[in-house]
Amino acid sequence: MEADDGIDLRVELAGISLKNPFLVCSGTFGNGREMSELVDLNALGGLMTKAVTLEPCPGNPPPRLWETPSGMLNSIGLENKGLERFLAEDLPWLSRFDVPVWVNVAGFSAREYVEWAEAVSRSGLAAAVELNISCPNVEKGGAFFSRRPREAAELVARVREVVDIPLFVKLPPLPGAMRETALAVAEAGADGLSLINTLPAMAVDVERCRPRLGNVTGGLSGPAIHPVAVHAVWEASGAVDLPVIGMGGIWSCSDAVEMLMAGAAAVAVGTLNLVDPRAVPRLAEELAGFMRWKGYRRVPDMVGLLRRRGWG
Amino acid sequence: MPPLAFRATVLERRDYGCASEVIFRVGDGFSPLPGQFVHILCGGGGRIIRRPFSVFRHEGGIASVLVREVGGGTAWLRRRRRGDELDILGPLGRGFDLTGGGEHVLLAGGIGVAPLAYLGRRLTERGGKVTLLWGMEKGTEYGSLPESLGEEFDLHIATADGSRGKEGTVLELLSPEMTPGTHLFYACGPRSMLVALTERLSTAGLPSLQVSVEERMACGLGACRGCTVPAVEHPGGYLAACRDGPVFRAEELDWKRMMESI
Ligand SMILES: Cc1cc2nc3c(=O)[nH]c(=O)nc-3n(C[C@H](O)[C@H](O)[C@H](O)COP(=O)(O)OP(=O)(O)OC[C@H]3O[C@@H](n4cnc5c(N)ncnc54)[C@H](O)[C@@H]3O)c2cc1C
Ligand SMILES: Cc1cc2nc3c(=O)[nH]c(=O)nc-3n(C[C@H](O)[C@H](O)[C@H](O)COP(=O)(O)O)c2cc1C
Ligand code: FES
Repeated sequence: MEADDGIDLRVELAGISLKNPFLVCSGTFGNGREMSELVDLNALGGLMTKAVTLEPCPGNPPPRLWETPSGMLNSIGLENKGLERFLAEDLPWLSRFDVPVWVNVAGFSAREYVEWAEAVSRSGLAAAVELNISCPNVEKGGAFFSRRPREAAELVARVREVVDIPLFVKLPPLPGAMRETALAVAEAGADGLSLINTLPAMAVDVERCRPRLGNVTGGLSGPAIHPVAVHAVWEASGAVDLPVIGMGGIWSCSDAVEMLMAGAAAVAVGTLNLVDPRAVPRLAEELAGFMRWKGYRRVPDMVGLLRRRGWG
Repeated sequence: MPPLAFRATVLERRDYGCASEVIFRVGDGFSPLPGQFVHILCGGGGRIIRRPFSVFRHEGGIASVLVREVGGGTAWLRRRRRGDELDILGPLGRGFDLTGGGEHVLLAGGIGVAPLAYLGRRLTERGGKVTLLWGMEKGTEYGSLPESLGEEFDLHIATADGSRGKEGTVLELLSPEMTPGTHLFYACGPRSMLVALTERLSTAGLPSLQVSVEERMACGLGACRGCTVPAVEHPGGYLAACRDGPVFRAEELDWKRMMESI
């Protein structure tokens, strides 16, 4: 919203209006219900749902969490109630709030992705689809597509045909292949990119010689991955002319501004929600303070500023 | 009650061997049930996730947690001093069901005594007859805490090294007259202890048992699904320890799968 002093936090992403540039990352906010006990969902710029699959999915065996220095490993493994209940219970509940919802769509095959994305679009209750082709915690469907730009582009093209709402594609960091993959999915019809998903990672209990996670491997999130995420945003936003939602270890207002300056049109808070459910309203307020201090009136004034200043 | 997010001032700390009771001020709205926990930010140093601790005491505007040092976060917390501030989310989770009548047997393994002491106080207030059985490694492990709890409860101790009370685990303290027909059982401790207890009570005895489980947690609110325990309902499915628990009726959990992850 526009404050008295002319600071305007609003942003527009692929035609979707956000009150502020802070969304909440998929999987770190449930589907809003639990968090709504502590935070007003209307204060969020946008909400990305937990991954939903066509069929209910029990998820991975515990333990599913392990903390590392300034980071966290998880192997939740897409635990969810399945499409039917999500569409009947969660999405209508979320639509009571004045917050655009990105539905995170995951699948175990291309057919599942397409079928599911179409159902989300048809529900009329989602602002956008976030195609999750980067989950490190499931074998097929997850990392499979994001490691293969051509297959990824084919999938995006098929989904694009069946959805009438903006389509964001969520990618992991792809050292050396970020630009190529971003270009491929952009050409296939993506309306935006979500960067980044967690990094494949693992930890070992050396006392007992066994993995810390029941699934053996998992995904790393939190401040430890933030510079990797800034780099991914930098590479992708330099390659394609699509809005990029930057995410990965955002823990402070300046972490968010870093993403914006590197080229993100908006940002999403992930693991921090698990520590502070009220992080988004707090960071939005801090961002307004930062903008006032530095003389930026609108968020787009900061977006991609590094390149506009001649870097890279 | 819905959870609160608040900052609490530390009023006092009492050291008991390997553990410390950290006592802090809480607001009027804070009314935890026995078995519920508070989620505390335990300093920086690369630690980003909150740490869960059962409520050990709550009276008027004062509450406490009993912290056993096992790593960096607990080391930080048990060194707080009067005047320090804590960043807390809570109370969280489902607590013990106090409505059952009969005699109450509370079985604690190690630091599992924290929620059970609080439960014991509430059951006693309701006129229940409470016996607290507590197993630990050695008699001096928890300093003078056994004496202190011994003044409040009918307390029996077992030690692994036999240096105090009965030698063995807390299960050695179960007497033949403590039967599921006449007694209600409440337990908190290592998973191996809980599994052994379910075997001892056998399937017929499970309805009389409530357990509080320990799982690593992140959000503590049921949002991330990181803290799951195997459930009987929906074969292969899970319940969230932080929201559906940490207290469960023993019948709700799949003990075969619980055993696999010891
Ligand atoms: C519902 C609940 C209630 C609890 N109540 C108490 C209490 O009243 N008093 C108390 O002292 N402790 C309690 N715990 C355990 C306490 O949360 C952990 O000991 C603490 O998180 C460890 O943090 P750390 O930084 O010191 O250790 P870390 O360095 O994180 O880990 C040290 C060791 O502790 C284990 N650990 C880490 N987190 C947990 C966890 N959440 N549960 C079990 N083990 C863990 C790790 O596997 C590791 O072996 C409770 C746990 C739960 C889930
Ligand atoms: C517990 C947890 C669950 C997650 N679940 C999903 C998911 O279901 N779908 C998805 O696309 N990303 C998921 N992610 C990845 C996040 O959305 C985000 O991309 C990543 O964690 C990086 O941001 P962060 O470092 O701020 O957490 C999950 C992350 C965490 C920590
Ligand atoms: S800790 Fe997040 S669901 Fe239990």
